[in-house]
Amino acid sequence: MRGALLGLLAALALAGCERGAPALTLAVGLLPGELAPYRAIVADYERATGERVVVVPQQYADIRRALAAEHAAQRGTLDLVELDVYSLAPAADDVRVLDASTLGDVTAALEPATLRAGTIDGLRFLPHRVSWQALLYDHARLGAPPATWDELLAVARAHPGKIGFKAARYEGLTCDVLPFVWSAGGDGASFDDAGARAAFELFRELAPYVNPQSATFKESTVVEAMARGEIVLHLNWPFAVSLLASQGLAPDPIRAAPLPAGPDGRATVLGGGYLAVARNTTRPDAALRLARHLLSRDVQARLGRELGWFSARRDVPPGEGNALLAGFAAMRGDLRPRPERTDYPLLSRAWQEAFRAVVFDGVDPASALAAARTRAHLAAPDGGGA
Amino acid sequence: MTPRSPAAARSWLLGAPLALYLVVFLAYPSAYALKLALTDGASGRFPSLEPVRALLGDRLFWQALAGNLVVPALSVALELVAGLALALLLAARMPARRLLRAAIVVPFALPEIVFLTIVRALLAPRGYANGALASAGLPTVDFLLPGHGLAYASVIVVDAWRTTPVVFLILLGALGALPREVGEAARLDGAGALRRLWFVTLPLLAPAILAALLLRGLDALRIFAAPLVLAGVEGVPVLSTYAYHQWSDYGDDAGAAAASAVLAVLCVAASVPLLRRGAGAA
Repeated sequence: MRGALLGLLAALALAGCERGAPALTLAVGLLPGELAPYRAIVADYERATGERVVVVPQQYADIRRALAAEHAAQRGTLDLVELDVYSLAPAADDVRVLDASTLGDVTAALEPATLRAGTIDGLRFLPHRVSWQALLYDHARLGAPPATWDELLAVARAHPGKIGFKAARYEGLTCDVLPFVWSAGGDGASFDDAGARAAFELFRELAPYVNPQSATFKESTVVEAMARGEIVLHLNWPFAVSLLASQGLAPDPIRAAPLPAGPDGRATVLGGGYLAVARNTTRPDAALRLARHLLSRDVQARLGRELGWFSARRDVPPGEGNALLAGFAAMRGDLRPRPERTDYPLLSRAWQEAFRAVVFDGVDPASALAAARTRAHLAAPDGGGA
Repeated sequence: MTPRSPAAARSWLLGAPLALYLVVFLAYPSAYALKLALTDGASGRFPSLEPVRALLGDRLFWQALAGNLVVPALSVALELVAGLALALLLAARMPARRLLRAAIVVPFALPEIVFLTIVRALLAPRGYANGALASAGLPTVDFLLPGHGLAYASVIVVDAWRTTPVVFLILLGALGALPREVGEAARLDGAGALRRLWFVTLPLLAPAILAALLLRGLDALRIFAAPLVLAGVEGVPVLSTYAYHQWSDYGDDAGAAAASAVLAVLCVAASVPLLRRGAGAA
C-alpha cells in the first residue's frame, strides 16, 4: 500500500514536471571527452534562462540522417542540430532559413567566409566551431617545414616513402587535394583550370615518394603512422596535434606549420560544425536563442579554452596561448569554403578518384582530370558545370 | 465448412512467435534493404537501377567482389587444415595438452577488435614484427601494403588464426567420439599411421568436417573486421567493408544496400550446395 502511494506521488511529480515548456533538444557531434565540459556550458544557460536543454552527442552522419527522417515524417524531436560543414548542402532542405535580423551582433562578429559556407538559398547554418588543416611535420628529421611547393618536393625526394596523404576514398582526401588546387589559382569546382592542372602535376611529381599506406590513410591512421615514424609530414586537423601531445610526441618531434604555398599563395579547407534550426521544431525562437548564446563571445572563448575549439568569431583568436596550435593560427587568413554546390559530394568524389589515379595508378594528370570532369558532369543532375 | 481442430490451432499459435520474429527481424528489413538498393539516392525515384549501375561502374566494387571470393575460400581452407592438424595432435596424450588447447582458443576468446588491433600493431610497417626482423639483420616486410598480395595473405592468415579454434573444437569433439576399435583393428591389420588417418579417421570425421565447413564457410563470406582493421577498405576490399564504406564515407545508403544485396545473394548461393551436402551427410 505504501509502495503504491509512493509510486502515485512519483507519477504526479513527473507529470508536474511535464507541464512546463518542453526541453530543447540539441544534437551535437561531440567526442566522448567533450561531453562533460559542453554540458557544463549548456547548464549555465539553463540556470540563466530557466530553459531545459537536452544535449544529445551523436556522430554527424547520424544527426544528418535523423534530421532527414524527421523532415520526411513531418514531425520530430530535434530543435537545434550541429552538422559537419561538408554536409550542409544536402541537409539544407531539412533546416529553417534564419532571419539575420534576429541574430543581433552575432553575424557581424563572424568570419565572412564561414558565413558564406552556411548560406545556401538563404542563411541556414551558423558556425558553431571552425577548423582547418595545417602541415604536421617531423621537426627532428626535417628541421624547418617546407614553406613552398618546391621545398615540399625537395623534402619528398630526400625522404622517399615518407610523405603521407589521407588518401582513402573519403572526404578527408578532398580536404588534402583542394588546398593545392586553390594554392595554384584553381577554383576547386573546375577540373580543367590552371590550378587543377598545376596541382595534379605536383601530385604526379610527388607520387614516387608518397607512402604507399596513404591509399588507406584517414585522420587517425595517418597520425598513428606519423607517431611510429613511418612518415615525416602530412596534413591534418588540430585534434591530431592534441592527440600527439597526449602521447608526448608534440611539440617534439612533431610540430604544426602552415601548408606550403603554391604559385597563388596558401589555402586551407574550412571545416567544422554548424548549428541549424530543425525544420520541424515547434520552438524555433527558443532554438535560435540557444544558438545565439552558444555563439556569444564568452561562450566561444570558453569552448576554445576548455575544448580547444576554434571560433569563427573574429574577436576570439584561434588557439589563444597554445603554442602547439600556432601553425594552425597562422593559416586563419587562408580559409576557403568548399565549392558551394548541391552536388558537392559528387564533385568531391571526382577529386578523390583523380588524385588516386595519378598517385597510386600512375595515370597522367590530364587523363585523370578529364575522367573526373566526365564523371562529375555525368553525375550532376544539371550537367555539372565542373 | 470444416472447423479447424484444436491441435491445428495450437500448432499455429505455437508457430506464431517464430513467424512474427521472422517477419519483423528478417523479412521486413530484407524487403526494406532491397527497396533501398533500387532507389535512386539523388531523386528518390523507385524503382531505379541507378544504384546498381553505380555499383557496376565502380572498380573498387569488383575488387571487393573478387576479394569476397578469394579471402573466405583461402581462409576457410587454411582453418580446416590447421584445425584438423591441431585436433589430431591434441587428441593424443601429450604433456601440457590442456595448456596447449587453451592457448589455441585464446585468439577466438579475445574480443575481435582487441585481437585485430594487437595484430595491426604487430604487422604495421614499423610494427613489432618488422622490429624483430630488423634487429635480426633481416629485411623488413610490408605486410599490409594496400592492394598487394601480401596484404591479402596477411588478412587470410590472421582471419584463419582467429577462427581456427572453431574448427579445432568441432573436430576435437568429433575425434573424441570416434570408436577406438576401428582404428585398433586397422592397426592390427598392419595399417600405418598415415593409412589409418586416410582410410579410417578422415572418413569417420567427414560429417564433422562438413559441419565445420558449413559453419565457417557461410560465416567467412561475411568477413568484415579483419580486412577493415588490418588493411582498410581500399587495402583488402570485400563486400561488407565496401558496403560500410558507401554508407559511412559517402552517406550512400542505396549503394550500401545494393552491395549488401550482392553479398546476401552470394551467401544464399553458397549455402544451397553446402546445406544439400549437409543434409545428405545427415
